[in-house]
Amino acid sequence: MHNFFHKTRLLLLVIPLLSGCSANSFSDLFSHYSQQMNGVKQAQQQGNFQQAISLLPTRSPDNGNYSLGLLEKARLEYLAQNNKQSRQDFAQTYELVQQNQQAAKIELSRGIENIAAVMSNDNAIRYDIPLYEQSMLNSYQALNYLAQQDLSGALVEVRRANQVQERALKANASSIDATKKSIADEKFSMDNLSQQYPSMNSAIGKVKNGFQNAYTFYLSGLLYEAGNQKNDAYIDYKKALEIYPDNHYLQQDVWRLANTLQMTNDINLFRDSFARTITNKNTFASNNTQGEVVIIIENGIVGAKQEVSLSLPIYTRHNDMRLYSVALPRYQNKLTVYPPLTLTYQGKSYQAEEIVRLQSLAAKQLQDQLPIIVTRQITRLIAKEEIRQTLVKKGGDLGNIFANIYNIATEKADTRSWSTLPDSIHILRLNLSTGTHTLNIKINGVSQAIEVSINQNKQTLITLNTIGTHVGHNIFNL
Amino acid sequence: MNKFLVTASVSLALIALSSCTNKSVVRYGDATEVETTNINFGSTDLQKVASQMTDSLLLSPVVGTLTVNTRPILFVESIKNKTSEHIDTESITDSISTKLLRSGKFRFVDMGRVAAVREQLEFQQNSGMVDASKAMAFGQQVGAQYMLYGNLASIVKSNKDKSDVYYKFTLRLMDLKSGLIEWADETEIRKSKEKEFVSW
Repeated sequence: MHNFFHKTRLLLLVIPLLSGCSANSFSDLFSHYSQQMNGVKQAQQQGNFQQAISLLPTRSPDNGNYSLGLLEKARLEYLAQNNKQSRQDFAQTYELVQQNQQAAKIELSRGIENIAAVMSNDNAIRYDIPLYEQSMLNSYQALNYLAQQDLSGALVEVRRANQVQERALKANASSIDATKKSIADEKFSMDNLSQQYPSMNSAIGKVKNGFQNAYTFYLSGLLYEAGNQKNDAYIDYKKALEIYPDNHYLQQDVWRLANTLQMTNDINLFRDSFARTITNKNTFASNNTQGEVVIIIENGIVGAKQEVSLSLPIYTRHNDMRLYSVALPRYQNKLTVYPPLTLTYQGKSYQAEEIVRLQSLAAKQLQDQLPIIVTRQITRLIAKEEIRQTLVKKGGDLGNIFANIYNIATEKADTRSWSTLPDSIHILRLNLSTGTHTLNIKINGVSQAIEVSINQNKQTLITLNTIGTHVGHNIFNL
Repeated sequence: MNKFLVTASVSLALIALSSCTNKSVVRYGDATEVETTNINFGSTDLQKVASQMTDSLLLSPVVGTLTVNTRPILFVESIKNKTSEHIDTESITDSISTKLLRSGKFRFVDMGRVAAVREQLEFQQNSGMVDASKAMAFGQQVGAQYMLYGNLASIVKSNKDKSDVYYKFTLRLMDLKSGLIEWADETEIRKSKEKEFVSW
């Protein structure tokens, strides 16, 4: 008995020590991130962005969730139209991402985080910003620069976003192979998991990978066009089209630029695949009294990760199979349907079309990460089982109870993600004659009139945020 | 029991040590010292680009003939930033124009201060506070004959072992009357960084 208290004291000492040198604070270890964000998201849903910012938990720079907290704050500042503050926060996050990329191959602090994660849960590991979130970071940063009429700064962000997407494409193939191999080494088969783990297929939809973000490509195409770099714009529009081949506005832009740049091969290809209404348009008739209006509509808030408990059969070191309960993160297997924005102009009505579904990207990202998460989970189970057995040996029933309490308390899925992002983004693009126009838009049952000025051969960008009943907009003359 | 006490105290001591070993020190350094804090565009790159460009321009035979009996008037348009970093390109053009002015061969007009000049002239002409006979009149400034402009482009690549960045800086001098480019040159910079193997 006396001995048991020594052991437990050791364990009690180890836990705060681990959380002390690991990246995360105590509360992050024992509560769900998605729960911590509930209040913030509620305020965001009601359009109270300042209140949402004040509800964000404050974290110190050595906290593993610091960069994630900055992302949430920067996004809310962006919504509250504090572009300057938002720009600073995004810039700081970008710097952290850069540092992370150029860090040493073996970081001892990460090793300690991993040990802490084996003793407690994945929340002890510092948050690595996934690639689709990085591309959104750069996209928002580009809009922040635009808000200060700094097109060249916005173009820098666009190039950074493209670097992210390129790097992702390269890294993707090799990492998937690696995780499959590591799963094969474990005494556990992925089939068991896929039988029990709730499907996310409806949430993922048609998304092919968790990082290729057509919206980022589209925004960069638009900004390149504004900077009179038509060829760069064409390439990015085409990349966006590869991801969303049915989007008519994308087809229209690709067709228009293919003709302007005289891409004969592409023109022949697209003539067959595009709708007649697009290819029949006389693209050369773009006279000098016209400009364009581009509307980017952000819908809703991306769903949070939830915890799901599964019983997985695991082989312990004595080769006997036991069922263990594990907590894994998941996304809800459904997508919210957003009625597209309708714009009425001179008796004709136009509908916005989807350019990215962030919920699907998030779900796909999680699905790709799952093998790694499960591998860590198994290591953790084995470690916790060892602790339990030791405590049973030393402390009998009391030890068993103590170990079980500890295991239940620490069994928390990692539900961290950038959760103030929009759910889906739509676009709409229209040629208008130069001068001032009043556009009547209808979204979420709310009608609104927006006044825009169109400059000759230039683009006017309107960004709309629709969250709940809140509809806010910004106008940029590019 | 003893062992446990020892490990506990050692780990506590380590934690205590690691938190108080960093002491900040303020020092003056050499402004032209090679700076390699990170791989991004830095002061050494700026200095290298500015000095190579001015040397090349001043030594070029074409410019030699242009400046035989006169001091041509230049204006700096801008350096277009085509990299993936937020670089203050005005700072590069400032360095270049300062060096050219120092050579005594060129004169400059500053397009960035036109609004301020206009304000000052309006004050002299219209405020009633300046002696009218000594006030500067509108319409007597001299126009630039040449335009200096350029591009800064970069290619960034990285893999799991190293990252590499290549900068190319191009500068051109255009005769505003004929539209001919009288002089052009480029400088390249390559920087690479190998990742550390182990760190904290």
